[in-house]
Amino acid sequence: MAFPHRPDAPELPDFSMLKRLARDQLIYLLEQLPGKKDLFIEADLMSPLDRIANVSILKQHEVDKLYKVENKPALSSSLVNADKMAGRTRKYKVIFSPQKFYACEMVLEEEGVYGDVSCDEWAFSLLPLDVDLLSMELPEFFRDYFLEGDQRWINTLAQALHLLSTLYGPFPNCYGIGRCAKMSYELWKRLEEEEDGETKGRRPEIGQIFLLDRDVDFVTALCSQVVYEGLVDDTFRIKCGSVDFGPEVTSSDKSLKVLLNAEDKVFNEIRNEHFSNVFSFLSQKARNLQAQYDRRRGMDIKQMKNFVSQELKGLKQEHRLLSLHIGACESIMKKKTKQDFQELIKTEHALLEGFNIRESTSYIEEHIDRQVSPIESLRLMCLLSITENGLIPKDYRSLKTQYLQSYGPEHLLTFSNLRRAGLLTEQAPGDTLTAVESKVSKLVTDKAAGKITDAFSSLAKRSNFRAISKKLNLIPRVDGEYDLKVPRDMAYVFSGAYVPLSCRIIEQVLERRGWQGLDEVVRLLNCSELAFTDMTKDDKASSESLRLILVVFLGGCTFSEISALRFLGREKGYRFIFLTTAVTNSARLMEAMSEVKA
Amino acid sequence: MDCYTANWNPLGDSAFYRKYELYSMDWDLKEELRDCLVAAAPYGGPIALLRNPWRKEKPASARPVLEIYSASGVPLASLLWKSGPVVSLGWSAEEELLCVQEDGVVLVYGLHGDFRRHFSMGNEVLQNRVLDARIFHTEFGSGVAILTGAHRFTLSANVGDLKLRRMPEVPGLQSAPSCWTTVCQDRVAHILLAVGPDLYLLDHAACSAVTPPGLAPGVSSFLQMAVSFTYRHLALFTDTGYIWMGTASLKKESQKADEYLREIQELGQLPQAVQQCIEAAGHEHWPDMQKSLLRAASFGKCFLDRFPPDSFVRMCQDLRVLNAVRDYHIGIPLTYSQYKQLTIQVLLDRLVLRRLYPLAIQICEYLRLPEVQGVSRILAHWACYKVQQKDVSDEDVARAINQKLGDTPGVSYSDIAARAYGCGRTELAIKLLEYEPRSGEQVPLLLKMKRSKLALSKAIESGDTDLVFTVLLHLKNELNRGDFFMTLRNQPMALSLYRQFCKHQELETLKDLYNQDDNHQELGSFHIRASYAAEERIEGRVAALQTAADAFYKAKNEFAAKATEDQMRLLRLQRRLEDELGGRFLDLSLHDTVTTLILSGQNKRAEQLARDFRIPDKRLWWLKLTALADLEDWEELEKFSKSKKSPIGYLPFVEICMKQHNKYEAKKYASRVGPEQKVKALLLVGDVAQAADVAIEHRNEAEMSLVLSHCTGATDGATADKIQRARAQAQKK
Repeated sequence: MAFPHRPDAPELPDFSMLKRLARDQLIYLLEQLPGKKDLFIEADLMSPLDRIANVSILKQHEVDKLYKVENKPALSSSLVNADKMAGRTRKYKVIFSPQKFYACEMVLEEEGVYGDVSCDEWAFSLLPLDVDLLSMELPEFFRDYFLEGDQRWINTLAQALHLLSTLYGPFPNCYGIGRCAKMSYELWKRLEEEEDGETKGRRPEIGQIFLLDRDVDFVTALCSQVVYEGLVDDTFRIKCGSVDFGPEVTSSDKSLKVLLNAEDKVFNEIRNEHFSNVFSFLSQKARNLQAQYDRRRGMDIKQMKNFVSQELKGLKQEHRLLSLHIGACESIMKKKTKQDFQELIKTEHALLEGFNIRESTSYIEEHIDRQVSPIESLRLMCLLSITENGLIPKDYRSLKTQYLQSYGPEHLLTFSNLRRAGLLTEQAPGDTLTAVESKVSKLVTDKAAGKITDAFSSLAKRSNFRAISKKLNLIPRVDGEYDLKVPRDMAYVFSGAYVPLSCRIIEQVLERRGWQGLDEVVRLLNCSELAFTDMTKDDKASSESLRLILVVFLGGCTFSEISALRFLGREKGYRFIFLTTAVTNSARLMEAMSEVKA
Repeated sequence: MDCYTANWNPLGDSAFYRKYELYSMDWDLKEELRDCLVAAAPYGGPIALLRNPWRKEKPASARPVLEIYSASGVPLASLLWKSGPVVSLGWSAEEELLCVQEDGVVLVYGLHGDFRRHFSMGNEVLQNRVLDARIFHTEFGSGVAILTGAHRFTLSANVGDLKLRRMPEVPGLQSAPSCWTTVCQDRVAHILLAVGPDLYLLDHAACSAVTPPGLAPGVSSFLQMAVSFTYRHLALFTDTGYIWMGTASLKKESQKADEYLREIQELGQLPQAVQQCIEAAGHEHWPDMQKSLLRAASFGKCFLDRFPPDSFVRMCQDLRVLNAVRDYHIGIPLTYSQYKQLTIQVLLDRLVLRRLYPLAIQICEYLRLPEVQGVSRILAHWACYKVQQKDVSDEDVARAINQKLGDTPGVSYSDIAARAYGCGRTELAIKLLEYEPRSGEQVPLLLKMKRSKLALSKAIESGDTDLVFTVLLHLKNELNRGDFFMTLRNQPMALSLYRQFCKHQELETLKDLYNQDDNHQELGSFHIRASYAAEERIEGRVAALQTAADAFYKAKNEFAAKATEDQMRLLRLQRRLEDELGGRFLDLSLHDTVTTLILSGQNKRAEQLARDFRIPDKRLWWLKLTALADLEDWEELEKFSKSKKSPIGYLPFVEICMKQHNKYEAKKYASRVGPEQKVKALLLVGDVAQAADVAIEHRNEAEMSLVLSHCTGATDGATADKIQRARAQAQKK
């Protein structure tokens, strides 16, 4: 069922090197404080740290106790000050990851402990979650940049790209779209120039790189996911490459933390599949497994010995994984049918295709009235807004009113956030504003017009989804049933209803080796000055390396997008590598925009 | 060739030495050298002379003069000595001149007579005065050893990192030793001194007597001692007229290596001969002799198959460099071994120190050194020297530097600018910074020069937010608030960064920022946030909301203003409900408030609230339905369902009853569900047969399929057949 790669598909580079680098650096930092030491770890860093250096490695380097810290800056100072009061002297080191900001030192200074601690940086910015997936584990990137306009992480990203090019050679072909992509790219290039010589003359391993801002395509990220991995993420939340399956999945009284990656053979075969195929696949697999077990009957002693020593362990492992994923499937089905998942998907498809808008709006209203889920309601409102170029004023007001009545008045701030990010806006009354808008959008690209940018950014960001969809053929014409077992295009990740915009852009640019002929699309995306191509003249890149493509998602990518591009790769003989600031989904995006009472 | 070894004099059994004149000195000395304090730096370094050093009572005109010459006697500097009496001079490894004064103060001068710094050798030395001093070299740098008037020794092994060490007393030492020197062994500096017929070695812990092996008897005093540069060899000159030579560790050296060499000379001599010719050329000082030896080597090479060429080539290159620096204009008479030990990098540094930039660059180019280590580094030094020329205008200096340096890789314009600023030339520094391509590099210096606004735009250009932040905090302290905000206003990137900072650290400032920008929308949001984060008393919260509403009106955001006013009303009401009914109402949403009222049986109040806040009918129906089902108040639910025609239909009633597992109630409502959702409702209550009838009656294919998918097991077999028949019939028609 999992489609094999074409025989000419290039091999993936070995990214475990990144882990080793991070681990060595961490150990070096730990050894700077010789002897027994306690380690306080910020909650967000727990899982990534565990993927790099587990407890036994930490113990080897004399880490005595581990503490999880919820409240970051206050901790070190309260700890130090408490020790001071108690007359205890210890050595303290604060390790900042992935980088130390000036403000960090300032906080330490204000708390009066700057002189008592030594500071270090653990430049751990890229975590290989899987053979083809690198995550910066920076979920805050999305809100910081796309809502607050905070550019601090751009430097981190440029450093990460620089690291990749020193390890895996230069990237001869670069493409990108979006303001953040462009800034990151320019900063990265400047870093390369400053440290010239290091990558020059090396043969590129990865031939192409594509940088894409999340706000170029919000639609895809807002859709309900229906490929298995995405669905598992939407339902159980995959965190740092692993998921906690609760008792309802494990069919025992315990929860189980399961690593989800290519090493899980069962998972690897179903991760990219449309959910409707997964169950039948798993039951087939179970039957096969049973058959293999059954071979035991009629074995003589020697054969049995062989079976036990060689096959049984593997079979048992497979059995374990199989039952876990079957459990997960059952749990997903139960949850999804309860909330009338079919209705929801139908509404989403209607929004994507742009018909029955009134009906969809009523559906959303009912969703809000029934208090189904604050995040889900918000997601549907945003999807309606983006696909329709903003809500008509009457709906904009009434849906917001309904939402505030259902979920609380503090969401007035949430709406202000969503408007600023361009996720939930009001349609401009009539066409009178378009002239102003086009003027403003021109100003927006001008650096000096900062203030105007602030005030009008949401106006300038018309999503133009319908027009883009038409231009790029995002809604496949359906003749008969879309066979989800044998996908024919990337639309399969959304049940054949919609080709993810982000992936379509990448496909088109790779095919055209640039943005030629996409001018209109780029204009509709409000990215006229922000789409770029940079091709190196000298042709050291092998044809194999050119089919290895690093896609960088600034602000997060979803598992659906990953699945879609993996599919595209298999069709075209490419291999995609994903670098994302964090793996995201619709709920995470909405939560990032939500204001919650403290 | 017969005269080649004519000037070789034997030294012991196995070594020869020779003397030759390096330069006929260029200087014009008016006094005898013996009347001067003289210090010649090792490695072909400069020579320092202090004339008239010890005339204590002297007229002002006869002050001592400190002169510095190159090794070839070319004058480099001359200055009147205005400080105290000097006891000893010496050069450090960095070619700095150390002048030890009688009071223990050491003054440090550069090669060009420029005063660098001074330090003291301590109180003990100050009190007892300096009797004698030595400058010596260790692997850590250069040291100073002092013999005080109290006949005690004090030393510092590295003047760059001054740590004074007072050596232990020498037992019975009443007068100055007849001679003494410093010896470094195992990274520790010792003092070797002679008192009468005895030799003592002083280390930091103890004083021990030592005896040189094989010393001729009858010595009653040592007149002089000398230790070799490597501290491996020692020479002693006795009052009996003998010179004793041996190793400084006072053991005899092994002769074996030499014999071993001789033995193997019989075998395959030619390659070795060639190699030796090449090496010998290296150790020759005169170009003619170098040439003839190299020619001999080159000749011999012709008869060898595989003699690797690189040693020959490298030697030719080295000799060219050596001959160039030995030229008397330059005056650095390095030997080949010294050159190899010094390394080319250090030699280049020394040329730079002598401001011999063109020669240094020529050497770099000749040796094809990488630009960053070679040419660019030297140009950068040149530029730093250039900015110190105060008689040249800023424009000219900046232009000259840019013309020479262009954008040579590895040249840091900001370093040069920092030097210019160090010389007090701020304008020149700013001009030079303009040439710095990395804007981030410009920032620290701009800040230092108090050009913070320029620094801000450069920091923003660099894309490094941390740098921007650094500048921001500088600006904040430097400017008054109004100016600071104005500056931010024109820099959106910096502004958003500062806003982020304020959100976490200085909320009040954030408000001021919005105020200054007349950003009423954000001000409104700010007060809303305050209403549930900062304020606790209900009056305070309502007041915050009122401020927010006013701001929203100013921002022409009627919606937000109205919603805020509603919230004020709701808050007050919730407070009243809590007072009157108890329980928790504050901070519930409107929906949840009404639900809570219903759940606590306050139906009237719930109705009132719904009217007051204009809750739409649909919402109210959903709300009541859910709440009553939660209460399992089926009677009330039925009454409610009959109060008027349901705006949400009756399917939700069926659903909610089934959710509470009450099939009986569910069936009541199933019958009232409209035809469109009838089948669904019947299926929900499990009445498959009737659902089938309705579907067949509707002749609706989709409904029939839906019913079929619900037909399970034998019980529904008949129903399934019925549908199949109806389908078949429909198809016939």
